[in-house]
Amino acid sequence: MKAKKLWKRLKKEKTVQLYVLLGMVFLFVFKYIPMFGIIIAFKDYQLKTGIAGFFTSPWNHFKHFKEFFGFYRFAEILKNTLVISLWKLLFSLVMPLFLALVINEISNKALKRFAQTATYLPHFISWIIIAAISFTFFSQDNGVINHILIKLHMTKAALPFLSDPDYFYGMAVFTGTWKESGWWAIIYLSAMAGIDPGLYESADLDGATRLQKIKFITLPSILPSIVVVSILSIGSLLGGGLVGSNFEQCYLMGNNSNNGASEIIQTYAFKVGMLNARYDFATAIDLLQSLTSVILIFGSNAVSKKVTKQGLF
Amino acid sequence: MGKSNGKAMRSKDSYIFEVIITVLTCLIIILMLYPFYYILVNSFNEGRDTMLGSIFWWPRKFTLENYQYFFKEDVWIKSLLVSVIRTVLGTLLCVIFTCMVAYGLSKEDLTFRKGYYAVIILAMYFSGGLIPNYILLRSLNLLNSFLVYIVPTALDLFFILIAVSNFQSIPKELPESARLDGASENRIFWGIILPVSKPLLATMTLFTGVGQWNSWVDSAYYVSNDSLRTLSYRMIEVLNQASLPVSTYASGISSSNVTYLSVQMAAMIISTLPIMCVYPFLQKYFVSGIMLGAVKG
Repeated sequence: MKAKKLWKRLKKEKTVQLYVLLGMVFLFVFKYIPMFGIIIAFKDYQLKTGIAGFFTSPWNHFKHFKEFFGFYRFAEILKNTLVISLWKLLFSLVMPLFLALVINEISNKALKRFAQTATYLPHFISWIIIAAISFTFFSQDNGVINHILIKLHMTKAALPFLSDPDYFYGMAVFTGTWKESGWWAIIYLSAMAGIDPGLYESADLDGATRLQKIKFITLPSILPSIVVVSILSIGSLLGGGLVGSNFEQCYLMGNNSNNGASEIIQTYAFKVGMLNARYDFATAIDLLQSLTSVILIFGSNAVSKKVTKQGLF
Repeated sequence: MGKSNGKAMRSKDSYIFEVIITVLTCLIIILMLYPFYYILVNSFNEGRDTMLGSIFWWPRKFTLENYQYFFKEDVWIKSLLVSVIRTVLGTLLCVIFTCMVAYGLSKEDLTFRKGYYAVIILAMYFSGGLIPNYILLRSLNLLNSFLVYIVPTALDLFFILIAVSNFQSIPKELPESARLDGASENRIFWGIILPVSKPLLATMTLFTGVGQWNSWVDSAYYVSNDSLRTLSYRMIEVLNQASLPVSTYASGISSSNVTYLSVQMAAMIISTLPIMCVYPFLQKYFVSGIMLGAVKG
């Protein structure tokens, strides 16, 4: 009886049920099957066994994890990942806020709009182009930056920005922040647009300066957005915070000469997996990074709930 | 007296503040746009001459050669074509499929709705990662096929959520009256729901389109057939050449004045242009888009 009723209902909904079911089949194939694939991090897997191999390959008692922890470059790769991520985190929290505060204070409407449009342009440009631009800009022969530095007598000979590992952290943080700050400023700007203008008017009557208004009205009003953005960026810390593109950046801007600074967990996993065909080992490294990220986002959310009484979930 | 004095000081204060803000803004704008301008100027300069450097504001030896070379060369023009086709087809497929699934889920009384949602949310927060994904695509015989560009990206989970809330905000009377006139669900979806959701479609098109246009990992590692390479991939090839000694890298191609670097600059401008043309017009949809990006992180 009940089954009959259900059948009748489904029949009535047949078109929309079909729409949704197509989506579910897609998800099963393209999202859920790969999830089962994570299991090969704990197994000896061979590519020729295909998807069935996820289940049939033999367990190997955490061999891949032990190997990675014992790898002679483990400390270096971990350090690169953490240092680049932490610097990016810091800058991705400060710069968008600074940018939003500046743009919000512009009184000329056209200039304000133009500034906003200009600052988030790079967000839409692929990392390949950004990397190519930075190659021409930071080039040791005829690069714009070296040209300026020499003109200003800040350096005698052109600096090897692109090949010396000592410069890589700075390059990564600078180009990443440059690319994404304007985009993240949008969140703050939209929060600022929602502030009650009456607050500013009464502050005017009390004779507040513009800096005072920023300090006592603007910043406190957008605090909730700042908290949300901070949690999100700590959660994605290892991926590069809000700038988010640690992998693409280190992969595209890294080369043999600066590898000591540009190899991070993600690029290493990628190379081991895709270039050396060690699929199981690469999956194990990837899994370690994902687990760390999950811990970070729950951790930062919990701390934020305690301290500011606000959280994402 | 004292009061008016204070007021004058405040307005002077405010004037200085205004100047500082304006100067700061102009510096920021230059910092953001100059790199693109620099590439533009150099892409219109003779390749060999560019290697002498110091072209900052205007081409020294103006030429269209670099662009002519780009559009003459099979390798470049083919990859441009692949990029365009994958962007158009991939975006179309993703927007339509995502909207279809979202339309079904937008019905509050849909049977199994909660179950479907659980499947989606779980897939949103957990992913198999690079390698299992690669193994899957290989098992499905998608490697080395054009389909690998458009099929795995055919459904966008975050846009499903956005689209559901969008469809639910459409007044119920609209589809209801059509239903009374005997229109089928298919007709209601294509003929009523989609046409009234233009802002949603615009946002989805922009974000998936840009994603398709910019993606390169699939072209670099899921495809080895040379005729399937995208423009982005060709750019990486040139990037790799950039680490060669400058004498090799900057040497002319055949006997012309064109160098690898100068064609690359033309290619950079060509691949940036479509994005520059589209994104300023979609500003008003960004805020929903950025919240999306925030969750997606």
